[in-house]
Amino acid sequence: MRKKIGTAMVVGAGISGIRSALDLAESGYQVTLVDKAPHIGGILSQLDYQFPNDRCGMCKMLPLIERDASSQYCLRKGLFHENIQTILSAKLTAVEGEPGNFTATIEQTPGCIDPGLCIGCAECAAVCPVEVPDAFNMNLSTRKAVYLPVPHNIPNTYVVDLTHCTRCGECLKACPTGAIKFPEERRKDFHILVVDDELIVRDSLKEWLDDEGFSVNMADSGASALKMLSENDYQLMLTDIKMPGMDGVELMKQAQQDHPGLTIVMMTAYATVETAIEAMKAGALDYLLKPFDPGTFTPKILEIYQAMDVTETRDIQTHALIISTGTGSFDPVQSKNTFGYGIYPDVVTSREFERILSGTGPCQGKIQRRSDQEEIKKIAWFQCVGSRDLQIKADFCSSVCCMHAVKEARLAVEKYGGNDKQGLETAIFYMDMRAFGKTFHQYRQEAEDKYHVRFERSRIHSVVEELKTGGLRISYLDEKGNRKEEHFDMIVLSTGQKARPDSGELAKMLDLDLNPWGFCLPQPFSTSRSSMEGIFLGGSFTGMTDISESVIQAGSAALDASRFIHSKGGSLSAEPSDEPVIYRDVSRELPQVLVMICACSQVGFPDLDEALLKKDLIKDPAVSDVVFKENACTASGWDDLVDTARTSSANRIIIGACLPYAYTKKVRELALKINLHPSLIHVTDIRTLSHNNTASSNGPDITAHMKAQIKRGLSKVKRMDPPEQFSIPSVQKALIVGGGIAGMAAAAAIADHGFEVNLIEQSEKPGGNLKWIPRTIDGQDVSAFLKEMQVQIEKNPLINVHTQSSVISSFGHPGHFITTIQNMETDAPQTFEHGAAIIATGGSEAKTSSYGHGQSPAVVTHKELDEGLKEGTLDPTNLETVVMIQCVDSREASKKNYCSRICCISSLKHALNLKEKNPEMDIYIFYRDIMAYGFFETYYTQARQKDIIFIQYDLQNKPEVEVEDSRVAISAIEPILNQRIEIHPDLLVLATGISPALPDELADHFGVRKDTFGFFEEADAKWRPVDALKEGVFACGLCHSPRNITETIASAQASAQRALRILGSSRLNKSSNVATVHQSLCSLCERCIEACPYHARFIDPDTKKVAVDPIMCQGCGACAAVCPNSASSLADFKDQQVFDMIDSIF
Amino acid sequence: MSTFFKLEVKDTDLLSCIQSFLQSLLSSGKMDALLVPGHLPMNNNVMPTLISDPEHLNHADPLAPSFPVNAAKIASRLTRQPSGQTIGLVLRPCEIRAFVELIKLKQGTLDDIVLISLDCLGAYTNKDYAAFSKDDPIGATKAFVEHVLDQKQSEKDLMAPACRVCEYPVSGQADIRIGLYGMEWKNQIAVETGTTKGEDVLEALSLEKITEPSARKQVVEKLISERISLRDKMFEETSQATSSIEKLSSYLSRCVNCYNCRVACPVCYCRECVFVTDVFDHDPYQYLKWARHKGEIKMPTDTIFFHLTRMAHIGLTCVGCGQCSNACPNDIPLMELFRTTAHNVQKAFEYEPGRQVEEPIPLSVFEVEEYEDVVGIARHSG
Repeated sequence: MRKKIGTAMVVGAGISGIRSALDLAESGYQVTLVDKAPHIGGILSQLDYQFPNDRCGMCKMLPLIERDASSQYCLRKGLFHENIQTILSAKLTAVEGEPGNFTATIEQTPGCIDPGLCIGCAECAAVCPVEVPDAFNMNLSTRKAVYLPVPHNIPNTYVVDLTHCTRCGECLKACPTGAIKFPEERRKDFHILVVDDELIVRDSLKEWLDDEGFSVNMADSGASALKMLSENDYQLMLTDIKMPGMDGVELMKQAQQDHPGLTIVMMTAYATVETAIEAMKAGALDYLLKPFDPGTFTPKILEIYQAMDVTETRDIQTHALIISTGTGSFDPVQSKNTFGYGIYPDVVTSREFERILSGTGPCQGKIQRRSDQEEIKKIAWFQCVGSRDLQIKADFCSSVCCMHAVKEARLAVEKYGGNDKQGLETAIFYMDMRAFGKTFHQYRQEAEDKYHVRFERSRIHSVVEELKTGGLRISYLDEKGNRKEEHFDMIVLSTGQKARPDSGELAKMLDLDLNPWGFCLPQPFSTSRSSMEGIFLGGSFTGMTDISESVIQAGSAALDASRFIHSKGGSLSAEPSDEPVIYRDVSRELPQVLVMICACSQVGFPDLDEALLKKDLIKDPAVSDVVFKENACTASGWDDLVDTARTSSANRIIIGACLPYAYTKKVRELALKINLHPSLIHVTDIRTLSHNNTASSNGPDITAHMKAQIKRGLSKVKRMDPPEQFSIPSVQKALIVGGGIAGMAAAAAIADHGFEVNLIEQSEKPGGNLKWIPRTIDGQDVSAFLKEMQVQIEKNPLINVHTQSSVISSFGHPGHFITTIQNMETDAPQTFEHGAAIIATGGSEAKTSSYGHGQSPAVVTHKELDEGLKEGTLDPTNLETVVMIQCVDSREASKKNYCSRICCISSLKHALNLKEKNPEMDIYIFYRDIMAYGFFETYYTQARQKDIIFIQYDLQNKPEVEVEDSRVAISAIEPILNQRIEIHPDLLVLATGISPALPDELADHFGVRKDTFGFFEEADAKWRPVDALKEGVFACGLCHSPRNITETIASAQASAQRALRILGSSRLNKSSNVATVHQSLCSLCERCIEACPYHARFIDPDTKKVAVDPIMCQGCGACAAVCPNSASSLADFKDQQVFDMIDSIF
Repeated sequence: MSTFFKLEVKDTDLLSCIQSFLQSLLSSGKMDALLVPGHLPMNNNVMPTLISDPEHLNHADPLAPSFPVNAAKIASRLTRQPSGQTIGLVLRPCEIRAFVELIKLKQGTLDDIVLISLDCLGAYTNKDYAAFSKDDPIGATKAFVEHVLDQKQSEKDLMAPACRVCEYPVSGQADIRIGLYGMEWKNQIAVETGTTKGEDVLEALSLEKITEPSARKQVVEKLISERISLRDKMFEETSQATSSIEKLSSYLSRCVNCYNCRVACPVCYCRECVFVTDVFDHDPYQYLKWARHKGEIKMPTDTIFFHLTRMAHIGLTCVGCGQCSNACPNDIPLMELFRTTAHNVQKAFEYEPGRQVEEPIPLSVFEVEEYEDVVGIARHSG
């Protein structure tokens, strides 16, 4: 793995942070990944299945090139990459220095359990007497005070919840490895000053706090408090408000001035709550309401203490930062209408329902009414809870809830609806169904047709409990305004985004701009550039997006960060050469395995029978020696182990130790020292006991347990052939097809990293659709932006623009493609070699003949409207009435059966502009669902406030248009009046949507598949959104999916980032686990070629034999599975290895 | 729409009629050689022979109840690379079906091939045929033809178990079909075009066109339905006999790992079977370890594993020709076991081996939604 001197810090290890970190790590930067939770994965650690395939697949984000540098298993469980250092339970508290040379301060909150010693045996949780709500399961179930934060994590270390822990000490006694240590000592260093004029209050508080181990002093007045503060260091002051002389607020103000680091909490009786709140605004952390009792007082203080208690503060030097700390989620209790949430147990939020569905959730995946455990027959989803609600100042759409609800409904039906899917009734109550992604509309239709999910356009009035029958009765207004009632067993509230409470603090610290709703505001035309140089934005910190968009934006953020680090010189290699190391050739030697077992003196295995274990293992003639070592995890222990390996003649090594994933780096170092390929060195976990294993680490079974574990490792290593060392030279140039904004942005991104780009454009000048779009809805000047980009492209010596040209052939593999283009004017062909290709062929406004288009100049498309306004043929002041029709030829079975995503925003933009130029104008917009996703919602609100009339229609009742000369008449049913209306506009504007421009031939040249709509088909819509299944080929912009300018640029930067992983090295190394063909066994049936999803197999035209491209092969093993006689096999999973492994278990 | 042509049978000598038809095919210039079962000159044994001289067709005998090998493998050998010549392959329906599967597996091709099939009268096992034909092979064939087509009941029906339950007596894929069932076979039979390729050949022979013999359809349908009910009974019995791993062990207990069944199997196409590669070349240490672990192991090991592996490999492509049983030196009823398993697998994928060259083998097709009960989201049960 190449290493660069550049470093980056990614704050927030949700899906976005993981993507950014991996992108940068794969490029060779050293990345620090920080999360405040004790695990990675963010929200996704709680979600089991994602649409569109209703499965997970997160592992598809793992590296495809240089796979050996990373762990290659379930990404939800954990991520280990050579170039990523993960710091959990940690917070970014300060950033000093200047862009390109930041010092970031990370504070890590304490853990009581040593991850090096915890073996996950669960003995501690078994004896813990405390039961508290489990946040992982959205508080729907309980856990102990010592618990696993995420049940499926690796490494799975228990954590003590110090706030709820009673310090009974039972877990200390139960822990077999002595991993638990309480940080009580530190509490003595936490000084609390209690200020109250009443002795009885002071005394009881001191007593309670003393009991918890804090150092407590008391003051009876403001004056003496100030005196004490000046004499000693205090961390926390609790002060009464009403005191004779100096009151609490005054004391606070003075104390703040003299002791800025002091945390102050007000104590107040009910009467002075208002004052306390004022005090909080002035800087107090919180207030406590009198009278006190230890049951509520102590936990509150402990909570404050936990938040402030820090064991470790680290300063980390970094070139750049990516902030992807995510979003909070709306709490329905704060809503004006809570729909009974918090009162009726059968009203849950969508996140809670996600846990209910999960097999690891509070109900083990069974659903029943939480109120009375009755069977559930009907579930309702309420959309827009906490979103699109002006009353709670949420004038935004949360973008993901519609699809989330559809997915949950489908999953519920899939799981509980029986074979005919009719056994569970589901209904989604919504305002607009915002299925605005490329395949979302289809997914929604399937929900309706195949899963019988009912979609009810409505407004919910109320929810009440059915006292007699159980369940809930809802009352709502349907589409026509009729009031209806219906019974449901469960109600899921689709709760939206809410800026995290600490976002403001973070933004203030980093000097970032926030939007009116508390989300971070990126720079125009970017999703990732912040107002601060060197600090980039990813994930839902800028507002919620679905996974695929989040992954794209994370890639874009990584690109921006990488570009910035590169500009600061961070791309220089940290290692002298990236030539591969040549290890000792052991292919002709019989396997001789040296087994080294770490007997760990820290904990010890008193019951381990070393002699018996050795006797048993040495029986295998392949085992040359079995030695016992101490403390392999310490430096001296490791050195001793290395010495033993060095003096041994063995050609395979097994190290029995704990936490094998922690050894990846060490194994590589050892491999270099003893000149043996790292894949012949295997670390096997002899410590962690599986959950069902009854053997305790010191019981009589420990010898047998260890034997089985080592034999498992032995079976792998013994039969392992030393991998053929292989690397291919890579051409460090890119080819980009399409010179619209996507192609230009991608070209600039790659060229800015110092690599040459050939940009192929079929027209006379790059620019694409931006040539006719004057402005965005938020007023950004598109023309100026385009000009700037064109200049940038022209001036960059590394970008060769080939206009009026098209691709006539392309073949090759990642690292080396050969593409020929032809100039359409001169017919002259030109051939380029390149390491990666980006398809950015764009799309155009769809043509139409519907609604009288073409019959009258008064019927125009969006583009024609823009052109008319620009050229002056259309004058807004002359227009009295304008009608717009959305979804023309779109979202219909036989037509463009997808949402083009940008048309609603476009119509809103035009409507608002026209209205501004001529406030008297009447504007009517006929729509099916207004797709004003995210913060675009606010423009929808503005439009309605400006009396633009929105009329909903459905496919059965499309508006009818009659055109006679220049007169246009529209007739339609107005659903609320339930009457036919007729409008005679001066202008009819049709939103015709986007048609992709991805010719079949071009797709074939690059081995790219198209989806049913003609857009680029992603390797995986969610996890590899800009990759073709064929590695080395990427796509962005409109040929990929409908998207606006900013989103297009994000996808362009993401695809550039993917390309840079390949372009960054002059040689690409084969990963160790790839498939091979034993030619003497191969019958040439070619089933392996059909089975290979990565196009890595082909018939070599010269030898007429099956060949494998070792760079494209991802080691999935599909070929080995279809091959009947193992002529095709996978390096790490040969038949003998697997047989041996099975043998070692049974 | 197929065309029928008349072939006259003189003196009730069906074999001569067929021999002279084959001679006319080979002499027509439409093909350079014919692969056809024939009596070997030295001892009258019947084997597939590749004949280029029409004279040699006088000892061709596709009617004999002899089925020593499934010639699909030979067809594969003849077509794996282009030969530049056209070959007529006279094959039984099960041979054609196996060949179709081999073509899908890129082990052969239909280019430059004319598939000729007779209505299959069935065959005896190698041992039974040897005994049956000992003194007079040609007479034996005649007796067999009468026995089958006139449904003369002999004391002991020697028909091989696979043929008794075969529901494919008439080939669906042949270019040229020689009809025997439902004809006045003692006077005339009909030859039928199956494809345009067959039509091209037959039209050149200046044969007399006739309509489809009226009784044929009904006779064939009746035969198939009888066979299906026998087949289903066989499935039932075999399922019972192998319903647990213990019963299966007992069923296969006579297996000595000679691999004859695998060699005889037309759709076992590997160049070298995995069971003879070093995958199963266990270390001596390994055997002793197993023995130590269990106290006792049967030698040779891997016998059930061998058959289970073969079932996994050929479950979808098994055409039920019965050569596995024919080849077994220890008379293990392998055909019954393999057909029963294969039937269930094929039913699950709605796949019929040998139906059409264009129909892909299900394992090479990726379906996003398939067997949701196995691979989908775990449904909540109960």
